[in-house]
Amino acid sequence: MKILVCIKQVPDMASRFKVNGDGTWYDETDLAFRMNEYDEYAVEQAVQLKEQQGSTPDITVLSIGPDRVGEMIKKAMAMGCDRGVHIQDKDSFRKDPWQIASAIAGFARDKKFDLIFFGMQSQDRGSGQVGAMVAEILGIACATTVVGFAFADGVVTAKRELEGGIRAVVKLKLPALITCQLGLNTPRYPTLPNIMKAKKKELLALPIADFLKEKELVATASAYPPAKKGTGLVLEGDVNDMVGKLVGILKEKTKVVK
Amino acid sequence: MTARLFKGAEYLVTEVTKDDVFTPEDFTDEQRQIGETTTQFVLNEVAPHHEEMENHNFDVVVQLMKRCGELGLLMIDTPEKYGGLDLDKATSMLVAEKIAPAGSFSVTYSAHTGIGTLPLVYYGTMEQKEKYLSKIISGEWVAAYCLTEPDSGSDALGAKATAVLSADKKYYLLNGTKQFITNGAFATLYTIFAKVDKEHFTAFLVERNTEGLSVGAEEKKLGIRGTSTTQIILENAKVPVENLLGKIGKGHKIAFNVLNIGRFKLGAGVTGAAKHSLGDAIKYAVERKQFGVPIASFGAIKEKIADMTAEIYAAESLVYRLAGMIDNKLATIAQDTPNYYETYQKGIEEYAIECAIAKVFCSEVLADVVDEVVQIYGGYGFVQGYPAERYYRDERINRIFEGTNEINRLLIPGTILARAMKDELPLKSEAKKAFKELTSSSSEGSKAAGPFAAEKTLLANLKKIFLVLTWGSVKKHMTGIKNEQEILMAVAEIAINTFAIESAVLRAEKIMPGLSKAKKESVSAAVKVFTFNAAEQTATAARKAAYFIEKGGSLAELLSGIGRFTTYDATGLLQAKRQLADAAIEAEKYIF
Repeated sequence: MKILVCIKQVPDMASRFKVNGDGTWYDETDLAFRMNEYDEYAVEQAVQLKEQQGSTPDITVLSIGPDRVGEMIKKAMAMGCDRGVHIQDKDSFRKDPWQIASAIAGFARDKKFDLIFFGMQSQDRGSGQVGAMVAEILGIACATTVVGFAFADGVVTAKRELEGGIRAVVKLKLPALITCQLGLNTPRYPTLPNIMKAKKKELLALPIADFLKEKELVATASAYPPAKKGTGLVLEGDVNDMVGKLVGILKEKTKVVK
Repeated sequence: MTARLFKGAEYLVTEVTKDDVFTPEDFTDEQRQIGETTTQFVLNEVAPHHEEMENHNFDVVVQLMKRCGELGLLMIDTPEKYGGLDLDKATSMLVAEKIAPAGSFSVTYSAHTGIGTLPLVYYGTMEQKEKYLSKIISGEWVAAYCLTEPDSGSDALGAKATAVLSADKKYYLLNGTKQFITNGAFATLYTIFAKVDKEHFTAFLVERNTEGLSVGAEEKKLGIRGTSTTQIILENAKVPVENLLGKIGKGHKIAFNVLNIGRFKLGAGVTGAAKHSLGDAIKYAVERKQFGVPIASFGAIKEKIADMTAEIYAAESLVYRLAGMIDNKLATIAQDTPNYYETYQKGIEEYAIECAIAKVFCSEVLADVVDEVVQIYGGYGFVQGYPAERYYRDERINRIFEGTNEINRLLIPGTILARAMKDELPLKSEAKKAFKELTSSSSEGSKAAGPFAAEKTLLANLKKIFLVLTWGSVKKHMTGIKNEQEILMAVAEIAINTFAIESAVLRAEKIMPGLSKAKKESVSAAVKVFTFNAAEQTATAARKAAYFIEKGGSLAELLSGIGRFTTYDATGLLQAKRQLADAAIEAEKYIF
């Protein structure tokens, strides 16, 4: 059995974000990066499946991005993935979901993966499209927002989270792709021996140009923080003075009083 | 890895460059991940049990130690041959730093992995290691180290516990009482020091269920209440002869050598604790409003945050620089060297001075930090339920155990002088040169150029002051200097601060090119703030030493030289403090 897990590196969400120079994304300066939370569920599920299957599945973990993503791929290998693929792209943040999905599908097309795991969305872009697009391009079954997973006799049984607190169980024949949602599992943190063992695992670096042939379909026009709501102003003192002040403010700041 | 090998204390007689120091920014991906696993473990698995541990539910502690074993956190310093990972000291220090926010549990952990495990690793026979190491690195057994006695603490060799060979020569019968034993209540393997035939100081590996060994009552402590601290009472405790550790009469080597690592590791641990408590204080200062604004917006609070950040930056720079020095040294020893661990011990002992510096400096940084953390919390810092009160209590022991800070301070000039006498350090010749410069009224001392020129100028001059005062005190008191503890304490202060400033400056210079504009400003500010404070303290210590040593015209000459040689141009200090504080407040944590 061959498994592919696709992961993305995102900033620590507790960071203070600033918009970048051309106003289309956040400024990466001094941000700490880590594995996208939903992708951790994906890695964990793949590794759990490998453990249940008596170690026969071979797990490839893939990420697209600049040099810094190497550290995160190593973490996924320390969690239990067998090999890493780093598709190098310094400008991955400029690619739209269609381009990212096309590149991943370009890599995966002839590799005959039986199962592909994604996080259900990234914490920074949040399009939630890439996993589903990859399944579409490869022409394989897909279930999104999965919170329960079982595999037996070549069939995936996935529990999906729907709106309104409803769950649905779907069954998928292999090959299949699922996107993982919060609640699916509790990701492990790698043990020290596994961190050291991961150092010896294969980590392939391949240029994005080898896999990306598509033009973008969606362009980001601008990124900006929402306008801050003004803070309240408390007037104090004598009532007559306060009325005077209030009228002054209304005249100055609004068109209510002329 | 940096390659230049330094002798212990050589920094005082040579110029060290940025390429000679290891910094936290040099960590590999693997080291960072190991740090992250440690942090996650503390956050997810230790922190929720905090109350239970403080209330002496030691079952929880024992379970968490097993969990540490599963994660591999107990096998960092043990050889691969016995199932360990045999990682470098930098990694070991990083874990010590990251586990520190676990509070009391980090002390249990450190005692187990440090003084509990290392004597066996360094001095155990193959049979002893095979028998005990796998249990210790899996956390199945917890280890403790029993050196101190009711009447002998700093004077460890004054121990009264005895060991007598039994008539059938199969056992040593141990008698005596060991005091303040960390992990005492739940440890399963004790490394106990006793005198064979009341004379030969010797170490023994003693199992918990040994006939004649009993555990005393829990001490009621000021801090680290989640650790077990008890007496270990030996009444004809029957220890099999094969459990003698090392050689008869060589227990002092075991006792003191593991303390070097212990001190250095304590330096890393307290640095982690300082970062953690500072983070809490900044968050509090941002939330807490007085006069309608967060107290973090007040200059009085900002200055505290800036000073703490700068001090911790220096402590962190110092600890990892030392890790790099030791790792470089140990890397030169081939694994198949006969008497590998003997050579290894000597390698670590080379840096006994720096280990003492790390212990003293970093523990006192934490002391300053927790004091100001309580202050920032105000009334809420004085009551239980907020963390500041516990940080304050837990901190105190660090200046007492692993050798009191007084013992460690005395050890610094004491060891330097002993090495100078053996011609291992050119103290006398360098001191003579420095004396000429210092007492020439026209000399401003060294003049450095390039990045951090002001700091490097100061450093070169502080080294001269140290040499002049140390050598001057030896000239005056000869071998009697060892009884002039007030002088030794004062010159130790100069050696400590010099090493700290140098570590802070060289790290800054090394990492500067890779930093963003904002980070560059913060690092420069931290260097300025720390150097200013440390230079002022060093000047005071130097003047004190001068008064202790000299009088009349010589004193005046010396004082004038000290004045010139401790001058540090800290132009822009206020802006630096505000810049540093603002960066820390925006991040709401320690920023480096």
